Amino acid sequence: MERIAIIDGVRTPFCKMGTDFNDLGAQELGRIVTRELLERTQLDPKHIDEVIFGCVGQPADAANIARVVALLAGIPQTIPAFTVHRNCASGIESAVQAEIKIKVGEGRCYLVGGTESMSNIPFYLAKTLQNQLGSLQRAKGLGARLAVMSKFFPEYLNFQKSLKIGLQLGLTDPVCGLNMGQTAEVLAKEFGITREEQDHLALVSHQRAIAGRRVLQEEIVPIIPGPKYKKVTEFDNGPRENQTMEALAKLKTVFDRYSGTVTAGNASQITDGAAAIIMMSESKAKELNVQPLGYLRASAFSGVEPNRMGIGPAHAIPKVLKKAGMRLNDIQAFEINEAFAAQVLACLKALESEKFAKDFGYEGYTGTIDRAKMNVNGGSIALGHPVGTTGTRIILTMLKHMKRNNLNIGLVSLCVGGGQGAAVILER
Amino acid sequence: MPLMFRLQNNIGFIEFDQDDSKVNLLTSDVIKELDKALDNVKNNTLVHALVFISKKKDVFIAGADIKEIEKIVEPKDGMAKAKAGQDVLNKIEDLKIPTIAVVDGVALGGGCELTLACLYRVSTFNDKVRIGLPEVNLGFVPGFGGTYRLPRIVGLSEGLKMILAGKPIDSNKALRIGLFDQLFPQNGLATHVHKFVSEILAGNIKKKRYSPKKKKGLEKFLDESRLGNRLVFYKSRQSVISATKGFYPAPLKAIDVVQKNFYTNREEGLEIEARGFGELAITAISKNLVHVFYLSEEYKKLKVEGADNVAPSAIDKCGVLGAGIMGGGIAQLLSSKGIWCRLKDISYDAIGKGYQAAAKIYKQAVDKRILSKAVAQEKMAHISGTLDYSGFGNLDMVIEAVVENMDVKRKVFKELSDVVGQKTILATNTSALSVTEMAKATKDPSKVIGFHFFNPVHRMPLVEIITTPMTSTETLVASLNLVKRLGKTAIVVKDSCGFVVNRILLGYINEAGRILEEGADMQTVDKVATDFGMPMGPFTLSDEVGLDVGIKVLHILEQAFGDRFKPTVIFDSIYKKGFLGKKSGKGFYIHQKKRVPNPEVQGLLGKTAGRSFNREECEERLILIMVNEAARCLEDGIVNHASAIDVGMIFGIGFPAFREGLLKYADDLGVENIVVKLEKLESTLKAERFKPCRYLVDLKNQKNKFYQR
Repeated sequence: MERIAIIDGVRTPFCKMGTDFNDLGAQELGRIVTRELLERTQLDPKHIDEVIFGCVGQPADAANIARVVALLAGIPQTIPAFTVHRNCASGIESAVQAEIKIKVGEGRCYLVGGTESMSNIPFYLAKTLQNQLGSLQRAKGLGARLAVMSKFFPEYLNFQKSLKIGLQLGLTDPVCGLNMGQTAEVLAKEFGITREEQDHLALVSHQRAIAGRRVLQEEIVPIIPGPKYKKVTEFDNGPRENQTMEALAKLKTVFDRYSGTVTAGNASQITDGAAAIIMMSESKAKELNVQPLGYLRASAFSGVEPNRMGIGPAHAIPKVLKKAGMRLNDIQAFEINEAFAAQVLACLKALESEKFAKDFGYEGYTGTIDRAKMNVNGGSIALGHPVGTTGTRIILTMLKHMKRNNLNIGLVSLCVGGGQGAAVILER
Repeated sequence: MPLMFRLQNNIGFIEFDQDDSKVNLLTSDVIKELDKALDNVKNNTLVHALVFISKKKDVFIAGADIKEIEKIVEPKDGMAKAKAGQDVLNKIEDLKIPTIAVVDGVALGGGCELTLACLYRVSTFNDKVRIGLPEVNLGFVPGFGGTYRLPRIVGLSEGLKMILAGKPIDSNKALRIGLFDQLFPQNGLATHVHKFVSEILAGNIKKKRYSPKKKKGLEKFLDESRLGNRLVFYKSRQSVISATKGFYPAPLKAIDVVQKNFYTNREEGLEIEARGFGELAITAISKNLVHVFYLSEEYKKLKVEGADNVAPSAIDKCGVLGAGIMGGGIAQLLSSKGIWCRLKDISYDAIGKGYQAAAKIYKQAVDKRILSKAVAQEKMAHISGTLDYSGFGNLDMVIEAVVENMDVKRKVFKELSDVVGQKTILATNTSALSVTEMAKATKDPSKVIGFHFFNPVHRMPLVEIITTPMTSTETLVASLNLVKRLGKTAIVVKDSCGFVVNRILLGYINEAGRILEEGADMQTVDKVATDFGMPMGPFTLSDEVGLDVGIKVLHILEQAFGDRFKPTVIFDSIYKKGFLGKKSGKGFYIHQKKRVPNPEVQGLLGKTAGRSFNREECEERLILIMVNEAARCLEDGIVNHASAIDVGMIFGIGFPAFREGLLKYADDLGVENIVVKLEKLESTLKAERFKPCRYLVDLKNQKNKFYQR
């Protein structure tokens, strides 16, 4: 079967929620990377068979955001587009959709990516308040209106009751009722992971991201954000130059006030950003005479308990290795998304455990991951985690890293809210 | 036959379909035919309703025949002409049966007036539909009852606004203000019309003539009370005077006519209108505006000679180099027409400024509801910025708008030549530099062409297209096609320093500087120019353009043409003082909330020659120096006809249209007269610059004109 080539990609800088990209919707971020990718590769967009974007907080004013992005970026109107949602693996999902479509011969060239503006995830009205507003709209005459309005008081002036914060809802598991941070606490306790271990992973993430600024620039499109267009944003603004263990230790635990270990410092940042890559069948790449960055060798998803969602990679990694006929030792570089330090460390411990391998039938496909080969340019704790985008970002970051260091095989993996894991093996 | 009558199910149809023409016109012959047809309808009891419709695509009736109006020399002939039309349209109005105009395209002037005589006007969702009374733009007032009927149909405010603006409106607007009764889909129009008429005949649709939409509040007061009406007339008069500075009599006359006939009966009202039409149609200003109209129509359709079989290559993606005022403006213009635009500069700050310039124009359009927010965003998304040449490999064209410096431009063209594909046209936006020099720096000079856009790019209607001896026909054809697509009027100029517009204009500005140095008052000189009809005086214009730019271009012209373009001392000294004009807040004037003369200019002038100031001489010097320079342009063969210069001056710098253009004005003065005056100026001022050029002398000797007989 033909190999699945990944030609090139770009991403926006990642900017913390409410900062540089506060005024840019997810569609605008997606548009910018898509257009820039077309410009940099000079790929004639008519070669593209479909556009696929992942997005978690899909904006109400850009339904099927992939289509909006495609049209705004100058992809011909005749080329279709659709949006995928697999929580934090939405970006991976867009690439896997292209992989499958190319494999079954549905098409030969796809522009895929992820886009997320966590700054622009709206607040919702509580259902009871919505009902009231509805009846106010329907009420005829001043008397009727006043009657409806009189019922508004006083509870709806309490915003905590009358407003639901979209971001909070999205980060809370609707089945087990825990929010993502609480699921990380579950794993920390189960695997006995200390606050220090987590803070240390966070520190390394920041240090590597700062050290990696220049190399990360290779994948970043500088943006002059509208509507003011005053100043350019060229770098990720999450990494902190002078991060120390002491500073991290001072932070309060957020999700379990009394016995918890997860803090804002050892969890991923809430961030805006978009990324896009072009994928083709190997033969199409040859036809167009373009040199791919690398190839997508195999992909796998697996399901786990929703309240232990962070353990997902420990299951997806052996699964994808098995699919690709590879061993953990074959992998020369890893990107394991840092949703929470606790969750990454839990995965590493699980993969090292013979019992774990035996319990799940993963024998031969687990082992120890060398931390020096993992997230070498920092992870989401430093760079930030625009949920729908990170999947695409780690594929892109990994391929550029492999190219720079002349590596042949890399593996990227994420945990997924709702209790899933995703993993992809990339090769050159 | 220009029109046909047919009867179907007791509905009469008068179908306009002029032979051998894409449009229908209301010529005197057509009016006679129409008269006969209406008489037949009147006597035919089988006709229960009458529909007026056109068989032309996207045209109802484009208006009266301007050529006929042009020939009118006596007011009474004009009046008679108007009356002939009015009488026939009255016949429509007086029919006892319902009358319906079906407008699926342009209905202008007389065409619009015909629909006004009908009881019902319906139209379609066709976006080519335009209805209105553009007569004032041609220097006269509507003559077939438009001034009488339109304010009665849509209300005084809207009606007067349409007459004075002379700008046709689309079908949605017309529906909103009550000019159209209903819009139908184009598809199946005949069926829709049939059903509509049947409903009228069945009594299900009723309408009273002259029953404008009910208004509320202020609008009701303005339209429906005498006092409100007076306010409308007063305000309209004020705004017309401030917009036209009193140079254009037609809008003022239109207000007079409407003010009189709004309160009288039809007979008197139409009489007033016809008289007004007759008075204006014979004026020189009207004749001049008609000619300018012809000119602009001619140049809108400009073609490259001998290139009929060269298909213009598509320009879908364009690079723009330099995100300054011009680059940013050009990027915005391109994006607004759906052309993808790669904007390159050397810093993100610069690119940010380019984005800001474009975004500002889009924001204005959104604020004025010309564009929806979504569409503005979609258009803006066509611009992407870059610091390197990424994305330049697949461009159809690059428009370079970097700093006006030949060394920089040559370097840029050499670089461009290496990065762009073979098909890419390389255009420079320059106001004076040699395009040929730039072309020589490239691998394929046949692909190089010049554009001279005017600032602000989105508003100024002219582009000078500059060809070098090496420019290929294909390059020129594609470029001309692009300029038209951008909605601009083009003149094609051979590469020569300053091209046409700046060369002529800078001579004028420099002359103003000399007059100032001789001791004249700055504001008085500016006023002489504006009294002549120029949109602004030479010193105001210098401040607008920027002294730095002006001086630079003057030096370039001086190098090419010698002393007559040597910047006057005052320009140099004011520039050296850092007074750059509007952009630096100070120039000849101080630009604050109110513009006041900069007192320091007087100090810089020092001892003046103390020549006594003479208004008439001042005007002659300012205008004739331009005429002489324009004649030199023709002598040098950089344009092939005087009309190109006139189009350039009218649309490029706003030379007064009512004077018909610089060289047409010169013809009106008489070439011989001009030569005499120039010679006199040459001797009294001891100034060789006024020596009539050979072209002028030849014209005089041949007893010829710029617009040759």
